[in-house]
Amino acid sequence: MAEIAIWGVIAALGLATFATRLSFLALLGEGELPLWLRRILHYVPPAILAAIIAPQVLAGAPGLAATLDGPRTLAALAGFAVALLTRSTFATIAVGMAVLWGLTLVQW
Amino acid sequence: MLTPDNRQALLAGARACIPLAPGVLLFGMVCGAAAAGVGLTPGQSFALSWLVFAGSSQIVATQLFAAGAPGWVVVLTGWVVNLRFMMYSATLAQHFRGTTRLERWLAGYLLTDQAFAVTLARVLDGRKDIPWFFLGIAATLWVFWQVASLAGIFLGALVPASWSIDFVVALTFIGVLAPLLRDRAMAAAAVSGGLTSVYLVLPLKLNLMAAALIGAAVGIALEKLWPKSRSGA
Repeated sequence: MAEIAIWGVIAALGLATFATRLSFLALLGEGELPLWLRRILHYVPPAILAAIIAPQVLAGAPGLAATLDGPRTLAALAGFAVALLTRSTFATIAVGMAVLWGLTLVQW
Repeated sequence: MLTPDNRQALLAGARACIPLAPGVLLFGMVCGAAAAGVGLTPGQSFALSWLVFAGSSQIVATQLFAAGAPGWVVVLTGWVVNLRFMMYSATLAQHFRGTTRLERWLAGYLLTDQAFAVTLARVLDGRKDIPWFFLGIAATLWVFWQVASLAGIFLGALVPASWSIDFVVALTFIGVLAPLLRDRAMAAAAVSGGLTSVYLVLPLKLNLMAAALIGAAVGIALEKLWPKSRSGA
């Protein structure tokens, strides 16, 4: 992408994000979020978070022949367990990275 | 207006940010390093950090830039990741009556997951000083985020690739995702979103958009099948 196009994309994403954040604050809570929209917004975060995570535990590119990367998968599962137990992002990162480095060091 | 009471709330907010600092600083550095790592200029990388100011959206935009996605796909996908802010905005607005327009616009610009979550806990405690508490924590988080981004942009290249520091992104998202999985419909939305992004390879890098839509559709469908699994949205 051309330099100027990248700037345009960043600015457009920034403005769209700002408008989304400001939306109801600008209206001072006079508006109500319709139920159908609230339903969609409720389920988008888990779907998109999982969609970002999943390709990162693969050994290669996504596709029908996708296979899991051993150390990364185990590190992700360890992180998930820590996240459920502690609710701490920092502990999740610390344990997950420790598992990944440990498995890499012992030449999984 | 910065009355003594407001000042106190502002400082309480700033202090409430301290326990969040390690995670925020680490994630901010990784986002900065990732943007610079895929060839964005330092100026562009930093613009992502202060214009978009949302880690997951910045990571998505960075990955899509690297994959050569068309500009409109980057904007649309990065924006869908941020749609949740509309829910936060609607909830926060109920506690912002009596504030000036400048204060509300500032609050809008600074709105993040962490600032919202901590402020919501204070709302549930029955406190009334919500707007300035929110501005205190949100502005402090903003400063942490920008400093961390700059560190990542300029120092990220010094970290050896063998450290797999990119995996911090996945772990950060796992940390955010796990507490969301409170019922079967939410878990099903996550599983279908993950499977979609692995197995459905679409042109123009539209995979993430498809994963968001399919995941949300599955979640809503299951919620209708099992009305009991509905949690307070």
